Amino acid sequence: MGVNQPSALEQVLITTKVEKVINWARASSVWPMTFGLACCAIEMMAAGASKFDFDRFGAGIFRATPRQSDLMIVAGTVTYKMAPVIKKLYDQMPEPKWVIAMGSCATAGGPFDSYHTIQGVDRIVPVDVYIPGCPPRPESLIYGFMKLQDKIMTSSLADRYKDIFEEVG
Amino acid sequence: MSEPNTPEVPPAEAPSGPYRYDLAASPQRQIVLPKTAPVPSLATYKAEVLAQAAADEAKWQKQLADFEVAKAKAEAEGKDAPKAPVRAVPRKDDNDLKTPWPVEAVDPDLLSLQGLLGDRAEEIFQQAGELVCQVKKEAILEALELCRDEGDLRYEMLADECATHYPAGKDFTFSVVYHLTSISRQKRLRLRILIPEGFAPASACEIYPSANWMEREIYDMLGIRFTGHPDMTRILCPEDWEGYPLRKEYPTVGWGQRDIDFREDRGGVLNRIAMTTAGQLGINLKQPKAD
Amino acid sequence: MFKNEEMEINLGPQHPSTHGVLRVKLRLDGETVVSCKPVIGYLHRGVEKICENKSYFQGQVWTDRMDYVASISNNLGWAEGVEKLFGIEVPRRAKYIRTLLTEQNRLASHLLWLATHALDIGAMTVFLYAFREREYLLDLFESFCGARLTTTAFRIGGLREDLPPGFIKQAQVFQDRFLDCVDEYETLLTENRIWKKRTIGVARLNAEDCIALGVTGPVLRAAGVPYDIRKAFPYAAYGEMAFEVPTRTEADTYARYLVRLAEMRQSHRIIQQCLEGLPEGPVMAKIPKILKSEVNEVYHPIEAPKGELGYYFVGEKGGTMPYRMHVRAPSFVNLQALPKMVEGRLLADVIAAIGTLDVVLGEIDR
Repeated sequence: MGVNQPSALEQVLITTKVEKVINWARASSVWPMTFGLACCAIEMMAAGASKFDFDRFGAGIFRATPRQSDLMIVAGTVTYKMAPVIKKLYDQMPEPKWVIAMGSCATAGGPFDSYHTIQGVDRIVPVDVYIPGCPPRPESLIYGFMKLQDKIMTSSLADRYKDIFEEVG
Repeated sequence: MSEPNTPEVPPAEAPSGPYRYDLAASPQRQIVLPKTAPVPSLATYKAEVLAQAAADEAKWQKQLADFEVAKAKAEAEGKDAPKAPVRAVPRKDDNDLKTPWPVEAVDPDLLSLQGLLGDRAEEIFQQAGELVCQVKKEAILEALELCRDEGDLRYEMLADECATHYPAGKDFTFSVVYHLTSISRQKRLRLRILIPEGFAPASACEIYPSANWMEREIYDMLGIRFTGHPDMTRILCPEDWEGYPLRKEYPTVGWGQRDIDFREDRGGVLNRIAMTTAGQLGINLKQPKAD
Repeated sequence: MFKNEEMEINLGPQHPSTHGVLRVKLRLDGETVVSCKPVIGYLHRGVEKICENKSYFQGQVWTDRMDYVASISNNLGWAEGVEKLFGIEVPRRAKYIRTLLTEQNRLASHLLWLATHALDIGAMTVFLYAFREREYLLDLFESFCGARLTTTAFRIGGLREDLPPGFIKQAQVFQDRFLDCVDEYETLLTENRIWKKRTIGVARLNAEDCIALGVTGPVLRAAGVPYDIRKAFPYAAYGEMAFEVPTRTEADTYARYLVRLAEMRQSHRIIQQCLEGLPEGPVMAKIPKILKSEVNEVYHPIEAPKGELGYYFVGEKGGTMPYRMHVRAPSFVNLQALPKMVEGRLLADVIAAIGTLDVVLGEIDR
């Protein structure tokens, strides 16, 4: 009997890590929150509608409440009046959660360098994927979402909570 | 456990932040106060045209006089006479611009409004096909009521109300402009008042309910309070906002822009760096009220 | 336990049916709305202040982002307002192309309104149908100016370029099938029992209230007032177009739905006239590279899909930037009528009322 030959058991079983399975499940059923701020929200709707069908990536179920969603797509300009609300919504989302900054405004203020605009949503919440464009085309949103899926697939549970573990000691 | 032979390196000073955008030097933060108060008016335009014509005439007379002197001098010295001056014709630009200058009011609406208001109407004229009537600031309510109810005027709808800041104005600081529309007669009219700083004009809400939010917006953006308004509060900016953004002394980015970096990382540990950097940048740091 | 207590609830600023970041403070007695107060400003971006610091050529970029659903209408308002300030006459071909694009944009805006309004009320299918046609229109805009949504389609004095090759053919393909598509939406909604129950008699606003509150656009026309700026104060090439102003007298949500569908058919008619009667000639007037204004003020209203969109400019002597720019946004004024529409009605009618007003928050807050 050769030691290197696969056994009958390995022929029928797929071995993997628990982490990988969890990541796979998370990446292929991300539920975004319906959260349109400005122009980009229209393109977000277009991405979900007939021609671009966001559902193919497992992200078509736009939830109306933050408590049921994993992904916040910040689609539009963030203003000083809106900032506390965004923060509150982000805090209400259950872990694990991700944020996509869609468009120039959410990324860096965009063309609105003015008194009432926050220059980028990353001043309020941590952002995973930035999508440039004013507004980005639905294809860009889908590409950005695929990048987020890659990020979820390569994430590790240990890394994710490293900060807390170190803080607690 | 450092190597014994390595020289002592003084600790490098913390970089002052070359990567950071110099906010104080940003053109968006600079304020350029206007030197003139551009309130369109027929009287001002006429005065300007007359002054310009007088200046042109004076220049021409001076040229002529200079020529006479030069001619006399040349004759006396026995030289050739200098060339006679040619009056300069205004240069005509080769483009399709036809600037609409203010003209005398001929529209019956304006004339009848002036007749009704008497000396409360300061000026009437037409410009770019639009009817303009400047009213005394105390009489705006009466003028609006006349425009709405008078049989041959019947301006049923207040389409728009907005204000402009003129820091260089002589005896006024703001103009408030009312755009009225007559749906039945398909006409438009603009009423205008000029008010100084601190003057509270009467609210048009009683006559035209649509003025409600427009006046709140004017208060929010320019700080003009209207007397008799049911709810004189800020409408666009948050309640605790400082300053009035559409005033000319307010920079596009500036006073109001507060650093509200209250981001936390995923573990819930507060990111405190922002608070100190905001202080360095001279930004008016103020935590927003969580409502 | 059964106390008659009034309850205060917040609708928004994050709510799927408020079309953005509108917040409505509601005081309820059971299901009945006692008082309603819209709170706006969550998208206030200082467009007026920014435009006061940009030249007349640059400022148009920010107008796209105000009513982002109907950006070409905003571009037209800006361009024509500035042209009125300087007294520029636009070539006839440019006027026709402007009219053509603005009407196509009206279709796109009304389609988006139909999709979201039906979605709010619970009819999901219309959303997918309406977006199918809208994508076609956006492709046309993209072929003209390179952007789907934020177009900056026009230039002061005309157009930057003529229509791209093949545009008219593509537009004609759309024209040929669009009327059938409108019929398709009608089969889904007009006789739908749930749709009728949710819309007939809901959010009434009669003509007197409309005029007193400054409400314009389809809401006013559904109350029986045939006021359309395209007819009353013609601009662009509308004076040469044959079209009707559809009106209804019921003044409720259902009437507004019918008015908007009829308007789509009229827009289709205008586009057809533009495509067929497109004159030859230049598309740009002769204007200097730097525009310097004289002391002047103009107010230029146009009929945007939501109502009267007015641009107010004050120019100073020798100024290259507007001394003051103000936008009379139709949604801003129309939203004032919301309390009048819903007070004393049921909570579910608030959603229908917001949908039927067709508000866009980018335009309200500017």
